[in-house]
Amino acid sequence: MKWSRVKTVAVKEVIEIWRDKLYLSMAFLIPVMMMVVLGFGLSMDVEKIPFVAVDYDQSQQSRDYLHRYIDSRYFDYKGSKEHESLAEPLMVKNKIRFILVIPPGFQEKLLAGKRVQVQPVIDGLFTYQAKVVRGYVSAINADYNQQLMKQWLTKKQGMNETEINALLAPVTLETRYLYNEKMSSLWSTGSGMIMLVMLMAPAVLTALGVVREKESGSIFNIYASTVSRTEFIVGKILPYVAISFLNLLVLSWMALVLFGVPFKGDPVLYLVASLLYVACSTGIGMLVSILVKTQAAAALITLLGTMIPGMMMSGLMIPVNSMEAGAKLEAHLLPAMYQLNIVWGSFLKGQGWPELGTNVMVLALHAVVLWSLAVWRFRKRVKA
Amino acid sequence: MNRLWWLRIFALTKKELLQFSRDIVLVFAVVWFFTVEVFIAGSGVTMDLNNAPVVFMDHDRSQASREWISQFKQPYFNVLGQVETQQQANEMLDKGEVLGVFDIPEDFEKKLLLQQQTSIQLQLDASNIILGNLGSSYSSLINAQYNQQWMLRNMKIVDPGTIQAPIVEERQKIRYNPEGKSTWFMPISEMMTVITLLSLFLPAAIVVREKERGTIEQLSVAPLSPFQILLPKIIAAEIIILIGVALCIFGVVGTVFQVPFRGSLFSFFLVTMVFVYAVSGLGLFISSVSRNLGQALMVSFMLLMPMLLLSGTWTPRESMPEFQQYLMFLSPLSYYIDIGYSIILKGATLDLMWLPLLELFALGTVLFWFGIRQFHRQFG
Repeated sequence: MKWSRVKTVAVKEVIEIWRDKLYLSMAFLIPVMMMVVLGFGLSMDVEKIPFVAVDYDQSQQSRDYLHRYIDSRYFDYKGSKEHESLAEPLMVKNKIRFILVIPPGFQEKLLAGKRVQVQPVIDGLFTYQAKVVRGYVSAINADYNQQLMKQWLTKKQGMNETEINALLAPVTLETRYLYNEKMSSLWSTGSGMIMLVMLMAPAVLTALGVVREKESGSIFNIYASTVSRTEFIVGKILPYVAISFLNLLVLSWMALVLFGVPFKGDPVLYLVASLLYVACSTGIGMLVSILVKTQAAAALITLLGTMIPGMMMSGLMIPVNSMEAGAKLEAHLLPAMYQLNIVWGSFLKGQGWPELGTNVMVLALHAVVLWSLAVWRFRKRVKA
Repeated sequence: MNRLWWLRIFALTKKELLQFSRDIVLVFAVVWFFTVEVFIAGSGVTMDLNNAPVVFMDHDRSQASREWISQFKQPYFNVLGQVETQQQANEMLDKGEVLGVFDIPEDFEKKLLLQQQTSIQLQLDASNIILGNLGSSYSSLINAQYNQQWMLRNMKIVDPGTIQAPIVEERQKIRYNPEGKSTWFMPISEMMTVITLLSLFLPAAIVVREKERGTIEQLSVAPLSPFQILLPKIIAAEIIILIGVALCIFGVVGTVFQVPFRGSLFSFFLVTMVFVYAVSGLGLFISSVSRNLGQALMVSFMLLMPMLLLSGTWTPRESMPEFQQYLMFLSPLSYYIDIGYSIILKGATLDLMWLPLLELFALGTVLFWFGIRQFHRQFG
């Protein structure tokens, strides 16, 4: 491998990218845009759930109960309806996610010391949202019950506050959130987006590289030239690695400034790992580029081939530990999971070489394998 | 618009379909997206706590503490065992081997028997916000159950239904997807993503390819108006996508995942047609600004991302920041998601959804007109 030939191919590639102004601006705009939209848009905060109430009781006590929901920052009160049948079409139209039905005789029964049933109807369309809403409703209800029981027990049994607390809630669970004390979506999925965006964007960018030459026919120049396969692949890929690394730095800066994510780890490790990671994602693009014939196919395959595994099999949405065997294997075969460990480890957990060293090694291995595969599959020959 | 006009449209549509069917990679990609991709997305993903690994630091080692621990079981939690020191726990948390560590104090049982309040500390890895939320909510639920049992036992009540006390019982009812199956949600969401991507990209690709090969010059000297040239391309894209949707619904969503189709198939296909029409206008716009397929793809991609994120495919509308909620009105996908989900899972009829459908059609017409105009300026 002669360095001067690699340099020539790289320079040629840079000039080509530089002259295609649309392509060039996309190369830098797409990652930034994805980061903004995905970071803010993939919000997992379940708040301000629109709901309506159907209060058949219309008493002091039922209004008191309803106000528990209205005053909660998790719910957004959209008024009350006379009858359930008036509320349901709103749910079908996705205007509300939750209907609270308070039965007649609510106050009467409670004052008489009897149990009463309310019916929260929850829209199960967004399964994650529905689960969280269930939790909120239970919590609000339990809180209300506790207050009722306290009043009742003090009145009936003459118990004092500590006795009542020990009876009603003998064990309290104190949860401490580590690494993300404020439970901020931006810290978690926001910083995780660096992994996702830098998997997709470099891969697509590079995928078009070789195929473009195949389509335009300029690849024949390469076939006929003295440049070797390795020199060609390395020279071709280097400009994309450089662009992508620059993008990765921009995205990390955005995470710090725009999303306010802290950086607690080792910057050197993070930079080394990031360089290896963009080497992997450009390698994926290069491999696809070599295997297919048209730009459309190359781009489609890379786009969907990186987006789904990047989101679903990286640990961003579901933890790798709880995946099924097949998905788990796929997660370990892709670089995404290791980079996510590094991003979260560096930003949120404050980890360095001892904890993340293996992840960096695996990324390096990935890069080597992907690049070698690309060299191995590239043929300087016209197919018969 | 006489018979000849229609004949020309028909002939050109046929040509586009023929051309598409000869690009094996593209045909394969379309089939792949509508079947395998939807299947993978639907089967791999559960937004639920699934065997979340936890460990306990039980300083009490009493009957009561064991009983409390025994409530944590599969499928939600996977108890890996016992750790002795906080240092060990920290290490496991740092490495991401466990989601949470429960710290049970020494005097846990003693205090319980003395009728005093005691507390257990949970250290939860919140670097993944979804798991953090779910982990915290499930553990509080389990703890609440324990408390209730303890209270009942303490008050010597066997059947909780017999206590007479002012209690508000909540009988939660989950509509449309009572078991909270993600296999009902994810495949549909993935299908809609694929539809969006293809209705953006296919028309753009069909036009740009003509540009690349230079055959567009032939078309522009043919006795055809720009509208006549472009309409068959849109029709071809519509046909390809609708066939893909049918394949997806009958082959994957309905059969493999057993998603109930509660509304009418006809209205769903009608809405899909309007949606493809709306997005393909953007596709035409893409084809007018890009010179080759590579560029077309980059621009499609650039438009796809915000459309997806402003649509509610992943996050419901109300969870978005306010400025994004307004931007959502500009994304055709947000209307389609609204109507599409409601038809499939909620059994909505078109008379409930006519307003968003009309809005979608109007938005589509604006985009389509815009796309045609761009094309006209280049080749008029």
